[in-house]
Amino acid sequence: MTTMLEPSMTDVEMVVTEVWSSFLGDSDPLLIGPPATLDVGWSSAVTVSGEWHGMISVELPTGTAEEITRRMLMVDATPDEDVADAVGELVNMIGGGVKSLMPGPSALSLPVVAAGRVARPSDVVEVCRFDATWAGAPLVVSVHVQNSHH
Amino acid sequence: MKILVADDSRVMRQIVIRTLRQAGYAGHDVVEAENGKEALDLVRSEAPDLVLSDWNMPEMTGIDLLDALRSSGSTVPFGFVTSEGSADMRARASAGGALFLIAKPFTPEAFDEVLAPVLKG
Repeated sequence: MTTMLEPSMTDVEMVVTEVWSSFLGDSDPLLIGPPATLDVGWSSAVTVSGEWHGMISVELPTGTAEEITRRMLMVDATPDEDVADAVGELVNMIGGGVKSLMPGPSALSLPVVAAGRVARPSDVVEVCRFDATWAGAPLVVSVHVQNSHH
Repeated sequence: MKILVADDSRVMRQIVIRTLRQAGYAGHDVVEAENGKEALDLVRSEAPDLVLSDWNMPEMTGIDLLDALRSSGSTVPFGFVTSEGSADMRARASAGGALFLIAKPFTPEAFDEVLAPVLKG
């Protein structure tokens, strides 16, 4: 049986803010909202499959992705390879957190990272969207599930 | 002491190594592996005193690495550092012979709590 459950906004917010403060420090707190139009420079996604199916993605402007990379690696230069790694690890941790909120057992995929927006399958719908601002720039974390209408 | 850190993400290996330092384990040698297969080879050639491994990795996952180590007779202390901390994963880790599972995101305190018995004991 496929269950069309969705994580609550509060839970997703908790997961995202915990990941952020653990790995990027509290000097620039993650501020929630408002919804913004985002010039997506980098994005990443992981899928959860099993008792619950879903896709968790993070979308970031280029400057934000580079700043995250600088802070995670504590370096100044941000070659694309490192940005992809940092942005992938970010969604991996957020996805792992969301997975643990949902009914299991299920498996977490390796992250997919794109310069630009990650293409989503056409049969998924957004069930949760978390808009935030970090270090002065907007970002979006969203959860998609498969559309269950037949 | 020598610690093997296995994670396909270089960023995460850096963070694990930094957290080890912040938790008070600065003086140890660290060996890095990009996946379970490489870690398996390095356990044989480097004989680490502890393995800290991610779960989801290409080539060979962390749980397959642990299985391979135990079935080859290795008793190297082994712990997971993974983005998944569900009860199911913890049970599988423990059944496979892992000493602990640290869920990402983690703190230096979480590291010290599980590492002290292994590295200071």
